[in-house]
Amino acid sequence: MAHRPEFSAQTLAVLAELCATPSQWRHGYGIARDTGLKSGTLYPVLIRLADRGLVEARWEDEQPAGRPRRHLYRLTAEGLAAAEGALARAPSSARAPATVRGGQNGRRVAARVTP
Amino acid sequence: MNWLTRVAGALLRCSAGLLPPDRRGWMRALRAEADEVPAGWRRLAWLLGGLRLTVWEATRRRGLGYPLLFAGVAAGTAWSAWSGPPGDSAVAINRSDVVTIAALLAVLPWAIRRVRGPVAGSRPARLLRAGGYAALLALVLVKAAVERVAQAPPNNFEGPVRAWTGEVVFLGMMVGYAALILVCTARRSPAAPGTVAIGATAGAALGIVAYVLGPLGFPLRFTGGWPAGVYDAAMVLGALLALSVPALAGLAATRWVDRSRPAVSRMRQGALAGLWTGAAAALVVAVLSTATIALLPYETGLRQWASSHIGQWTPAVSQWTPIYGPRSYLGYVAGNSAFAAGYLLVLLLGPLFGAALSVWSGWVAGHVGLSGIRPRMLKRVQG
Repeated sequence: MAHRPEFSAQTLAVLAELCATPSQWRHGYGIARDTGLKSGTLYPVLIRLADRGLVEARWEDEQPAGRPRRHLYRLTAEGLAAAEGALARAPSSARAPATVRGGQNGRRVAARVTP
Repeated sequence: MNWLTRVAGALLRCSAGLLPPDRRGWMRALRAEADEVPAGWRRLAWLLGGLRLTVWEATRRRGLGYPLLFAGVAAGTAWSAWSGPPGDSAVAINRSDVVTIAALLAVLPWAIRRVRGPVAGSRPARLLRAGGYAALLALVLVKAAVERVAQAPPNNFEGPVRAWTGEVVFLGMMVGYAALILVCTARRSPAAPGTVAIGATAGAALGIVAYVLGPLGFPLRFTGGWPAGVYDAAMVLGALLALSVPALAGLAATRWVDRSRPAVSRMRQGALAGLWTGAAAALVVAVLSTATIALLPYETGLRQWASSHIGQWTPAVSQWTPIYGPRSYLGYVAGNSAFAAGYLLVLLLGPLFGAALSVWSGWVAGHVGLSGIRPRMLKRVQG
């Protein structure tokens, strides 16, 4: 029986995106735009990662003018270690979605995950 | 486009209440981000993705998947059973049948939940509950299809009183079966999971064999020569199987299901396994056979088998024997008297026979030391 990968290709794309700037808080639409994932795919991934303690989330502290407050995400220390490990182990095809789907950050993701 | 986006946004806002509290923040986040997404299709797609997530999370976390599935299947059954001329009493019965049964099947889980708790966490329990409900709805559907055939007694011949009386009995039976399924798959079920598994598996297998061999089942009809001899032998074997399977299932449950239980409890498990065997077999054979009749109402071989095997045991059919004419056999074969009434009897007696046979086998096996209960314990049970 084939070994089931630890993370799906979409999850790997999100991990790669968050891993690129681990200290920076990112918002959902930004991640979606850069990975090329749809909201119905991205948010379940973020929810599962947060449930596993790999991603931490918070709301923006202050109310910005002209738009609602955003929910922000970044990897926890455990998440960063898990992401780096998973990305190093992942076959190149598993990391393809971010690049293939035309995310703006696709090239950066591909570069980041290449061992 | 704008109005579609507004509708999707409003739906997303309203549906947030379906989510568990710990997920509502995520949905609020998704909505807040929607303003960042360029207007048009992309924003609409963003909001629709949120709706998809809401449905997924609500069904997964709040257990709405099965209720939604049930609602869909029940609506489909009602739609299918609804057709027919409005003046026909059979159509009126079918309509009331499907509405009442759908309402009962929807309410019963809540009623049973108060007494026996929610459905057990195991996958087999959920599958059994879903499968049992599917079988009950299928029975309503095929019964409606059979009764919709013109001139089928008693709905169109015997008058409304008799037809409605039969209907009340049928409804009572459906409630009984639904209650059995719900109670035995609940968290605080009196039946051990192994007991239900043994009974349901043995019963389903027995029901399929009975359907294949039975006169109203799969059209295996041989009229002469050695194939007829083989078939007759298989019929005898099938009858022996029908008697022995509930007994063996009961014995298996008594002997192997949870040996730590006291003797009385193990005997009860045996009886429950037999009850389940009989009930599952009766349900399977009733659904499959009635479906066959509904699909082949004019099939000649089926008529002959029906008249020679079922007709003699079904008093209502003999009353309609004189009705001859171009469609006489249709009334005879496809009518409620011949089939729904006949299978009503099967549905009623199947579980009772199963339980009785398993109790008997458990008792006999206990005395010869086969049930796994020591004679001293058995005496205590008798005492």
